[in-house]
Amino acid sequence: MAAAISVEQLSKTYSEGILFRKHHKALQNVSLDVRNGEVFGLLGPNGAGKTTLIKILLGILHPSKGKATVLDMEAGSKAARRKIGYLPENLIFPRHHTGRSALYFYGRLSELNDSQIAKREREVFDMVDLTGREHEPVRRYSKGMRQRLGLAQALLHDPELLIMDEPTDGLDPMGRSQIRDLLARLKERGKTVFLNSHILQEVELICDRVAIMALGQLRGQGPIDELIRQNPLAQQGAVILEVQCPEGIAMTTEALGNDAASIVLLSETERVYRVELSLPDQLSLDRLIDRLRNQQISILAVERFRPSLEQVFMSFVGSVPPHLR
Amino acid sequence: MKPYIAVLYDSFLESIRSRVLWMLLAAWTLLLAALFPLTISSTESYRISRRTFSSENSAKAIMDSLADASAGKGSKAARAVYGKLSEEFQTMLQQRKESDRKIAIGSLLEELNRLLTVEDLYDAEAWPTAERRKEIKELVEKETLADSERERLNRRLIDLAFPNRLSSSDGQATLITWANIPLGQPLPLSIDGLRPIIERTIFPLVMRVGLGIAAMLIAIIITSPMIPDMFQTGSLHLLLSKPISRSLLFLTKFTGGCIFVAVNIVYLLIGLYLFAGIRLEIWNTGILWCIPLFIFMFMVYYSVSSLVGLIWKNPIICVVVTAVFWAVCFGVGTIHFFFDVAINIQPQATRIYAMNDAVVMGNAQGRLLIWDAKDLTWRTAYGEVDGQQLLGPVWLPEQKNLYFARTNATPFGLGRSFDTKLEFARLPDIADSNDKTFRSKPWADGRIDSGPELPSNPTQIIPWKESLAVVTRDGLFAFDPSKAAGDEKQFPGLSSMFQAFGVNTEKGVSAFQPLLKGAEFGKSFDLSVSPTFTTICSISNGEVTVWKDAGKELELQGSFPLEQDKSLVCLIACNDQIAIVCPNGEIPVVVDVVKRETIGKLDQLGRTSIKQMRVNSEGRFALLDQDGAVWIVSSDGKSTEKPRLTGQDSALAIAFSRDDQLWVSHHVTQADRWDLKESRSTASVRPTLTVLEMVFRYLIDPFYLLNPKPAAVNQTIEYMLVKPNNKAIALSADDLNRPKEQSDPWQPIYSNTAFILVILGVSCWYLYRQDL
Repeated sequence: MAAAISVEQLSKTYSEGILFRKHHKALQNVSLDVRNGEVFGLLGPNGAGKTTLIKILLGILHPSKGKATVLDMEAGSKAARRKIGYLPENLIFPRHHTGRSALYFYGRLSELNDSQIAKREREVFDMVDLTGREHEPVRRYSKGMRQRLGLAQALLHDPELLIMDEPTDGLDPMGRSQIRDLLARLKERGKTVFLNSHILQEVELICDRVAIMALGQLRGQGPIDELIRQNPLAQQGAVILEVQCPEGIAMTTEALGNDAASIVLLSETERVYRVELSLPDQLSLDRLIDRLRNQQISILAVERFRPSLEQVFMSFVGSVPPHLR
Repeated sequence: MKPYIAVLYDSFLESIRSRVLWMLLAAWTLLLAALFPLTISSTESYRISRRTFSSENSAKAIMDSLADASAGKGSKAARAVYGKLSEEFQTMLQQRKESDRKIAIGSLLEELNRLLTVEDLYDAEAWPTAERRKEIKELVEKETLADSERERLNRRLIDLAFPNRLSSSDGQATLITWANIPLGQPLPLSIDGLRPIIERTIFPLVMRVGLGIAAMLIAIIITSPMIPDMFQTGSLHLLLSKPISRSLLFLTKFTGGCIFVAVNIVYLLIGLYLFAGIRLEIWNTGILWCIPLFIFMFMVYYSVSSLVGLIWKNPIICVVVTAVFWAVCFGVGTIHFFFDVAINIQPQATRIYAMNDAVVMGNAQGRLLIWDAKDLTWRTAYGEVDGQQLLGPVWLPEQKNLYFARTNATPFGLGRSFDTKLEFARLPDIADSNDKTFRSKPWADGRIDSGPELPSNPTQIIPWKESLAVVTRDGLFAFDPSKAAGDEKQFPGLSSMFQAFGVNTEKGVSAFQPLLKGAEFGKSFDLSVSPTFTTICSISNGEVTVWKDAGKELELQGSFPLEQDKSLVCLIACNDQIAIVCPNGEIPVVVDVVKRETIGKLDQLGRTSIKQMRVNSEGRFALLDQDGAVWIVSSDGKSTEKPRLTGQDSALAIAFSRDDQLWVSHHVTQADRWDLKESRSTASVRPTLTVLEMVFRYLIDPFYLLNPKPAAVNQTIEYMLVKPNNKAIALSADDLNRPKEQSDPWQPIYSNTAFILVILGVSCWYLYRQDL
């Protein structure tokens, strides 16, 4: 599959000051690929360099080193920008616009003529659920409405690539759901979506692949399942066991045997214990189950530990909760 | 271009939907509504004001006459006037006679103006000569007089009662009213005379201060947020993600700001144009030309504001830095202006005169300078007195004296005139024709001798046979040096000092004999004597009058009107065959002085304002126009040529030498003598530069040339306000010869265009390089 976005060894260093120039490395040798037709999520804490990367892709910033192409064209070139729909974070519309006049304004900037805009406006207003509100001045719009109008202008010229910076920011749960549906529809139509979001659960729901950045470096990229599977937390063979002890018998570490490398009690309620164990292999688990049954301890649930995207994210950016280490 | 048109349209939409545009348009509408009731109208007024006194001593002399009349002395007319004064004023005059009680000039004016309305001032016995005057006779014979006629009659009688003390009035005045409410007393100018003054002074002032400063400041403040607003993070990144160029986006935003201001300027200036046209009847298309010029001026400031907006993204800093920019430009402009006035304007030649091989130049500062060929410098022969200008000079070889006079040089004759005395310098060195160089030291004021007082209101001193003559509104007066000898005094300054202490030093004008009996010219007139001194032509109120020398005296040949606006200021020059009349801003006319008819026009010159005309002994004419072009017209007026001369189109003054070569003064203080037959320069005057001039020419001037000068666009604006009719603003022939700034009015456009391009280029480069 051809790459919609290709970034190779991209670096960006900001310089400040005139006499005593300070340099700040915002991106360091970042390389990633976004395939055509996929929904790609860019994750990272504040200051990770996500916005810098997006700005370079849009030509707003010049890279210090490396190369970036968008739809096989030089990133930032006019030709590339023609095929991009962009929804910036904290979008501010000029106050004198109504929803409709703003749509026309940005449509014209995207080289559409008025008749082309007129053909598309109903569809995009419907898509973002702003139909009936398009004649209101944008200064009266709520944050969510402005966000949806931003999305409408990004979709108006039917771009091949959609770059969205925090698209669900300010939206209520219903709105978020609509955006998710919309992105799914876009994906179905073969559009590529490059998404930058803090809301990991959403990314997990929407994205095919993600890249995780921290301190200007790319820490990992790939399909979410693969990232999770490859995560050291998943590799550790952790098992969560939920058991119920008979009356008069208390749960002790001796009862669990010596095979577990670590044992963490997660919860305890009325003789029901939830325990996390690190076992080296399946045989150890089988032995543990036999041992518990021999002690008349009922096994309510056995589940293999699968780290969440948040946990994977945290492990990549270096801030893993202590109980998971 | 579609995206950029969208940005432009969006800027326009923004200004329409924001209240600012409507508020501004409402403000301009209110301003125009407040102006529209203002109008000017012609009226008749013979009132006497301080300006009416013909000299500084006139008020005192009238009070002396009236005081004498109180004692039964003096002329009958003065006594008749005295009889009609109020008792209180009569008592004051008596006390003045007895105990030197001082009377304020204001009280005298009040009394004289009251007399203008008195019904029975005229007394045939008191004014025995009055009925000889056609105008007075007609008024006296009327059974009933209208108020204005009564005023006119009484004014004429007062003028006769105190001859030469009051400037004659043609009664033309202009009243300024606002919603029919008079704003002060009528101005002593005809409405046609006032209009050019409004065009020349009020319009540029309104443009310079009202639009050039106030409106520009408002425009800068209002447009200053436009560029910084573009840099709001949320909106800029979206704009830049679109397939548009950053530079063009910036330039489009810049253009949007200019269009916003243009809408306001167009509205305001069209309103002012209509106001001037409808209410003042001044349809000056220059006001409309000011529209692009003001937009251009705004672009200069806005380019700076925009660059600052790009760098700091803060509207307040934009306004502050633009104001500092304006202040710096103003400072540099002011320094340049003062240097320019001191080096290029004041020393500018206004007259040139050849005496044997010596060249004398009168300059705009009122100085008389003599060329020192040895040291290549102009020596100040006679220093200036502020605001005065020279009449003459005329060189009388027999007397070995150079004669001249100085008069007030107030524009449009609005100032008071002072007693003018003939002055002269004794120059034995120059009298020696074998002496090829000027050896004597320039003479100081102390070496100037003072001759007799000139007839009142002198306008020219010209050569007359072996002597000289003075031209005044009352005709031509020949100077008799022998009669003047007794009146000569050294140190003219003492005369005024004596007068200050009340000592009467006035002398008669016996040294001047009137040559044209009964002549009385209008406010604006000119007179010329042919090189043979046998023909005299004058032009006054559009009428040419010819006199011929008939042995002992000059004989009036007759008058004939020219087909032109009578109010136009004209110059005239004649030989014995033809005269050339140059109405201000019109095509010069050739008239046959024998047949007394118009025989043609000098079409080659087009509509022009001629400032000097000279005639050589062969009767050829040299004409110099306000733009510095010199034209030679044949003695029969049939051929006109523009000779190739050094300084052609930059000439300041012209004169024929005794051997008919043409002296042309040009480029401030340079001059050349031209042999017109052989088309070559036979002498040239090239003064060496002083240190100050070198500093100006090689340092200040180039720096100023490169320096942005938005305020200098005012020069172009003033040029456009005056230029459309290619007419100098003049109320008298003297006004035509005022020094004019020679600078190219379009130069500010070139330099400011370069500045705008550089600043916009830097802005685009900055924007391209900038990480946003």
